Amino acid sequence: MAEFTNEIRIDAPADEVWAVVSAAERQAEWFPGMVSSTVEDGIRTIGTVAGGFFLEKILSVDHEQMRFDYTITGPLQFDHHLGSLHVESEGNASRVSYTQELRPEALTYALRAATGDALSALKDLLESGTYSRGFKAVPGEES
Amino acid sequence: MGRKILFVTTDQQRYDALGCNGGAVARTPVADALAADGVRYERAHPQNVVCMPSRATMLTGQHIRNHGVWMNGVPLPADAPTVAGLLHDSGYRTGLFGKAHFEPFLDPFLRFPENRMGVSGATQDEAGPHRGFERMEFAGHGAAGFVHYGSWLRDNHPEQMAGYFPVLDMALEVNPEGGGDTGAPQVKHNPVPRGIYHTDWVADRAISWLDSLDSAENWFCWLSFPDPHHPWNPPASELHRVPWRDLNLPAGYPTDPSERERLLDSKPAHWRRWYDGDLVSNYEAPARWVPATLTPEQVLEVNAMVHIQNELVDEALGRVLSAVSDRGWNNDLDVIYTTDHGEFQGDFGLLFKGPYHVDSLMRLPLIWRPAPSTTGQPAVVTTPVGLMDLAPTFCDIAGLEVPDWMDGIPLPRSEIDASNHGRAGVITEWDSLHPNGTEVHLQSIVADQMLCTRYEAGTCHDGTEGELYDLAEDPLQRVNLWDDPAAGPRKVELLEALEETIPDRPTHPLPAEAAV
Repeated sequence: MAEFTNEIRIDAPADEVWAVVSAAERQAEWFPGMVSSTVEDGIRTIGTVAGGFFLEKILSVDHEQMRFDYTITGPLQFDHHLGSLHVESEGNASRVSYTQELRPEALTYALRAATGDALSALKDLLESGTYSRGFKAVPGEES
Repeated sequence: MGRKILFVTTDQQRYDALGCNGGAVARTPVADALAADGVRYERAHPQNVVCMPSRATMLTGQHIRNHGVWMNGVPLPADAPTVAGLLHDSGYRTGLFGKAHFEPFLDPFLRFPENRMGVSGATQDEAGPHRGFERMEFAGHGAAGFVHYGSWLRDNHPEQMAGYFPVLDMALEVNPEGGGDTGAPQVKHNPVPRGIYHTDWVADRAISWLDSLDSAENWFCWLSFPDPHHPWNPPASELHRVPWRDLNLPAGYPTDPSERERLLDSKPAHWRRWYDGDLVSNYEAPARWVPATLTPEQVLEVNAMVHIQNELVDEALGRVLSAVSDRGWNNDLDVIYTTDHGEFQGDFGLLFKGPYHVDSLMRLPLIWRPAPSTTGQPAVVTTPVGLMDLAPTFCDIAGLEVPDWMDGIPLPRSEIDASNHGRAGVITEWDSLHPNGTEVHLQSIVADQMLCTRYEAGTCHDGTEGELYDLAEDPLQRVNLWDDPAAGPRKVELLEALEETIPDRPTHPLPAEAAV
């Protein structure tokens, strides 16, 4: 099994960061390469810019611990997958960690790189209201 | 009018694939004719035995440690200098048709320009020419992937998509399943009509671009066939060319299992461990396939498929050369033919590739047919050359000064020319870090008919291991002389030459951003 964690510091209060991170249907707003994220019956469907999709079962949304856990259930077939987003308060700022475990390991490096991009984009969204890749935030989310 | 350059590459093709190199099965008259009229290199070596590092070397003329692409999945930096850029800036028209793979394939969120181009159908990056190429149309190893061929097939012949073998499984690992007559991994009978198989599509796209050019223009065309790389699924209509039951087992395949295991045991431990299914060191072979299960019949069927794919490549190349000739360009045309790395194809009881520095993976076909308008005689060069010499050769052909950032030197046109180069040897290196934690590092030098490989400490090796082969006496690399006292002085000389030749590792290695 492979495991990796990406972290980033965001100059925004933890409750503001958690409000975005914990909203499962909002992930496409801050994850470059995702074009849609919809949630139905605890299953999130992620549409990708490549025309593909991921099905993700939401395992838990812990508002007290500010931890969001999910697992990819399809169409990719992992023996094991766990994705975890965790927000911690650092004074008036926040630290976001994004961990994934997977077996088989083929997608490890690609997911590590993509989640690194995503955390950068999350930071841009929360600090300046724009995506790091130049896409404007959705209406109503601009700061 | 200057010289045109047709750069032809295959993928994962062995030296002995071609008739001019002694291949006795696949009929390759087009490549053979180029060799007869030009220079045939008997010791052309890649600087790495997997696609991305090797292709980065071809494009930059640099050692692995200087361009930084140390493993598949490490993208060539966007600002890396390239020979295509030099040629383009000097007025050459530049195009690449087929497999590029300077950036990772496994890219679900389209982080890389090549993949965005393949999905959108664009033939340039958002910013314009990409890596010096003003037109790029990509093909990969089948119908899947973010390549122009896949999009074209889906739009025009969707019923053919499923005919190709899925090179990756549902976890995106290299698919261990097999088919054909023997159940060999990555083999499938593919109903796709020959005319729309990717080999012919690549030739068609190159011809279309060449047709669009003015006759007086100089051009550099990289014709990059994805075959004979696995999956081995040529059009079923062509299987009659090489019935696998009629083949002999390749010389490199030890038929006696105990002999096979003895040979593997004479090499560093990762050879036998992979064979036994005890080690997954790299992504390039199916992780869930155990080489020890490979049967002689499967070796024969894989070889037959490869031979067929090689014949189709040769015929497609012939079509491109005819189109070029029809434009009146042949007299000023330089053709260079090679591949990025080899394939075990049954040698030592193995398939695919990995951290194994033997001729199966390292000895490549390389032919240079200089423009007939230039002076020079057909020749055979036995002195080792490297793929890093290609980019400097293209500069030389175009009349450009070879820039300092290239590590290679223009290919010799004769044995005398080669001896004047004074090179100590040609380097091939491997570094890998699998997500499972397995780490392998080795470096080789080939010089004076000897092949010497040293290992660094990793998760499989303690750093004392090595391989030393006398290529003249032991063409199949079955006798490892590393611990032979009689070979000690020669080993020391080669290790010293290796140390003097290989660049320092970069201080900050580039990160892997995908498995491949």
